[in-house]
Amino acid sequence: MNKRLVSVFLTGIMATTLLAGCGTTESEVKDNSSGSSRENLTLTLWSIATESDAFSNAYSKAIKEFESANPGVKIKHETFENEAYKTKIKTAVSSNNLPDLFYTWGGGFSKPFVESGKVLPLDKYYTGEYKEQLSQAALTYATYDGKIYGATYTTPVSALFYNKKIFEQNGLKAPATFDELVDVCNKLKEKGITPIGISAKDTWVLAMTHDAMTLKSAGPEKVKAALKKTGQSYDDPDFLSSAKKFKQLADMGAFYKGATGLSNDEASALFYNGTVAMFTTGSWMAGSIQKDAKNPEDFDVVPFPVIGGNAKETDFMGGAVDTIMVNASTKDADIAGKAAFELTRSISKYSYLDGAGLAVWKKDYDDSKVNPLTRKLAGYASGASSFTLWFDTMMEAEDAGEYLTLLQEMYVGNITPEKFVKSMAEQLK
Amino acid sequence: MEKPEKDKKPGKLKMPQIKVGSIVTYVVLGIWALINIFPLYWMFTFSFKSNREIFGLNVIGLPKEWLWSNYKSALTNGNMALYFLNSVIVTGFTILLTVILSLMAAYALNRLVWKGRKVVNNIIMLGLTVPIHAAILPIFVILRKLDMTNSYQALIIPYTGFTLAMAVMICNSFLESIPKELEEAACIDGCSVYGIFFRIILPLMKPALATIAIFTFLQAWNELMFAVTFIDDSKFRTLSVGIQNLAGAHTTQWGPIGAALVIATFPTLILYMFMSKRIQQSLTVGAVKG
Amino acid sequence: MDSVRRNKLAIFLFIFPALLLFFVIIILPIIMSGYYSLLDWDGINGSTFVGFSNYIELFTDPGFQKTIINAMILAILSVFIQLPMALGLALLLSKGVKGERFFVAIFFVPVLISTVVIGQLWLKIYNPEYGIVNMGLKAIGLESFTRTWLGDQKTALISVFVPIIWQYVGYHMLLMYAGIKSVPPELREAARVEGATEWQVSRYVIIPMIKNVLKICVIFAVTGSLKVFDLIFVLTRGGPAKATEVPSTLMVSMIFGRNRYGYGSAIAIAIIILCFFFAIVIQKAFKTEVD
Repeated sequence: MNKRLVSVFLTGIMATTLLAGCGTTESEVKDNSSGSSRENLTLTLWSIATESDAFSNAYSKAIKEFESANPGVKIKHETFENEAYKTKIKTAVSSNNLPDLFYTWGGGFSKPFVESGKVLPLDKYYTGEYKEQLSQAALTYATYDGKIYGATYTTPVSALFYNKKIFEQNGLKAPATFDELVDVCNKLKEKGITPIGISAKDTWVLAMTHDAMTLKSAGPEKVKAALKKTGQSYDDPDFLSSAKKFKQLADMGAFYKGATGLSNDEASALFYNGTVAMFTTGSWMAGSIQKDAKNPEDFDVVPFPVIGGNAKETDFMGGAVDTIMVNASTKDADIAGKAAFELTRSISKYSYLDGAGLAVWKKDYDDSKVNPLTRKLAGYASGASSFTLWFDTMMEAEDAGEYLTLLQEMYVGNITPEKFVKSMAEQLK
Repeated sequence: MEKPEKDKKPGKLKMPQIKVGSIVTYVVLGIWALINIFPLYWMFTFSFKSNREIFGLNVIGLPKEWLWSNYKSALTNGNMALYFLNSVIVTGFTILLTVILSLMAAYALNRLVWKGRKVVNNIIMLGLTVPIHAAILPIFVILRKLDMTNSYQALIIPYTGFTLAMAVMICNSFLESIPKELEEAACIDGCSVYGIFFRIILPLMKPALATIAIFTFLQAWNELMFAVTFIDDSKFRTLSVGIQNLAGAHTTQWGPIGAALVIATFPTLILYMFMSKRIQQSLTVGAVKG
Repeated sequence: MDSVRRNKLAIFLFIFPALLLFFVIIILPIIMSGYYSLLDWDGINGSTFVGFSNYIELFTDPGFQKTIINAMILAILSVFIQLPMALGLALLLSKGVKGERFFVAIFFVPVLISTVVIGQLWLKIYNPEYGIVNMGLKAIGLESFTRTWLGDQKTALISVFVPIIWQYVGYHMLLMYAGIKSVPPELREAARVEGATEWQVSRYVIIPMIKNVLKICVIFAVTGSLKVFDLIFVLTRGGPAKATEVPSTLMVSMIFGRNRYGYGSAIAIAIIILCFFFAIVIQKAFKTEVD
């Protein structure tokens, strides 16, 4: 009886080492049709542009255009929900189950993918019209160790959305500095209106506001240096100042009282229905307002107020993080590499025209039909002096997770801004 | 619990006691029934609402505006009918496999005599301990080695693996209440193990099997993590993944999700009604009479 | 008869398929997770063997200890509130009330509904603005009692446990009900004839006969509590500030959020060991009572 157990156990160990050993070094080529290079090639593409997603239409159009321009090549597009996709893609990279083309988030998220050697560098395809129409800056977060690993198609930015109607009714102007913001919040509170909507449960929403405040306090250079660990410590007066101001807003009741119990959907709903007057989040909200608010004309957007001397009004949180990457063992690297750029160029155009996102490729088409909010944001994006990626995407997973945890702790008052700043410095060492 | 206590009062006329007792009983049952049925009502009503109504305007009431379009969105999104069918196939085979394997295994563990059955019995309980998220990568690696990903088996096999523990334990407990004498009596004129299993044990295990079928159904029908990770090709996609795909990356229209959920829940309810009848019917223990 | 029971071929045929499947799907992954737990690995690239340092970090982390405590609180609530409720309902319904089948079916409904719906529903119930709880309190003049139930570190845990306990009452009830129905009615009759009241019949006849079912329910309740994930994730994600963090939410955030696959695997192994420990203990506890 015991012997049986032992032999079962040993078999298990053997099996495990076998599997563990093979799993990470083997590289399998997904074989599909007849195998001859340019005829009848099917490339698989995974993305999160599910049918209910705002980008779905853009993807479909992009795929159609590519297929007609490249007869003999078909693209099989499979979509997955956002959160589940994060698990799926990581598992796929780990077990060599990647499709030819796949969506991913640039910056820290895909760093392990690139390090695994399973992603195709695209430098040799970044030439000619692609290079002309897609700036190097747009590929910042798809570039690792000096090499380009993906193509991007949209560059969301975050900004301060506000309910114009409520502001006008109360004689208020959109704030451009922190003091003006505090003033607006106080005046709104006097009238019994909750100033700022936010979700503390979906910590990324919390981060939207804090990231913006930190950027506008410390300036883009300092932020990047601190988060990318290139010599700037987080234990710094500018970072402390933004943390303190964040706490100040929380303590004065500027944020919706029940934010810790609300998801992003619920918190946003409060903004659309006029319960809260302001909301800081990504440019995609411009699209949602058209759909979910009773009177979209009541809403407007401005850049997040400037707080410190190192930052300008035209510094924006955001950047091109939606990326399409290519599997290093794809059936046809040349076609797949080209596809990455062709697809992203089309998606950039169509998603912008749909009001779903801000184009990152050069615009050589008429955009007058796009909704005014999105167009305004597109203007900000093209006139931006800098882009800083949201902290939790820029940083590596471990640091990002710690950041969000610490932020929530600070929000609910478990730790002081001083402790927050020191802990961040500790983590980023 | 308090309800039986009420019947305990001695020495008084039994009649009025029972009346008060049973009124209270029915009230309690009624309230609990309402509480339990509320989610169904809520799901049904929000499947017709817009986000605005769901998130504040009209949370509980009947829809102010009946958005039948939600159902249209849900059904035409992707290929819901196909996903539904896939779920039926996967869940159906999982139930079948679970029932067969667990009953056979439980019989071997409970009735047959062999060395090590106590140990195996304990090991089976490990099946209750594994947190699913930790198993995703290992099982995926195994499935890839066996070249089984992107297929119905990719889900049926893992699902069955995870329901086995629960199923074997339930079978065991029901088996234990079937007296061994019954089998021995049937054996007087000579018999085989298989004969006993099929002709004596199996019929008596109907309530257990029905219960296992329901529980297995629940685990498999709504399962999400494995279904998303192990299947890439949407032609094998299951319903729960299809429903999840109705969520947008940043914002979600909940009405169509409600519609899809209503569609997904109905077979559950029907199957349950059907199964519970079986449990009730086959619960007469007449056959066990000595 | 004895030789029939020892039929080697039969034993093999009956037990082997299940065992094989079980080995591949359960045992192998557990061994693999055990191996991963000894690594410092991001789940994708190279790994370094670090022996037991993940476990040392785990057991000295107050955060993890808190998750275990939270899970144990849930387990206690399940065993001492949820199971008695289920038992009471099962006993009541099996006595032969009118509409027995109807009630059994209805009480099982919450189990049938997907966690997504239950989660979203309770989010609405607990909503500080328009949720039934706060609106109800306001209506009866207890406005000072209103809270951000899911967002307040003090109330989040219990708020999250209520739906979890509520959802699975029907599950245990069904098991117990099926068990009770299998008790030969003659036994009930015999006891009643001797003058026992309903309560005494329940206590001295029925309950002992369904000890096995009760044992299973306790095991399911405890292991389920240690592994709980879905509802907590939807309701609070383990927040606010870890107030409702349970072992599974911590594990998932480590594995898929922070790319600490090795550490996350250590958490998984800890959960497995704990669950197994309790399953065996409960099994033994019931054995001494039965015999």
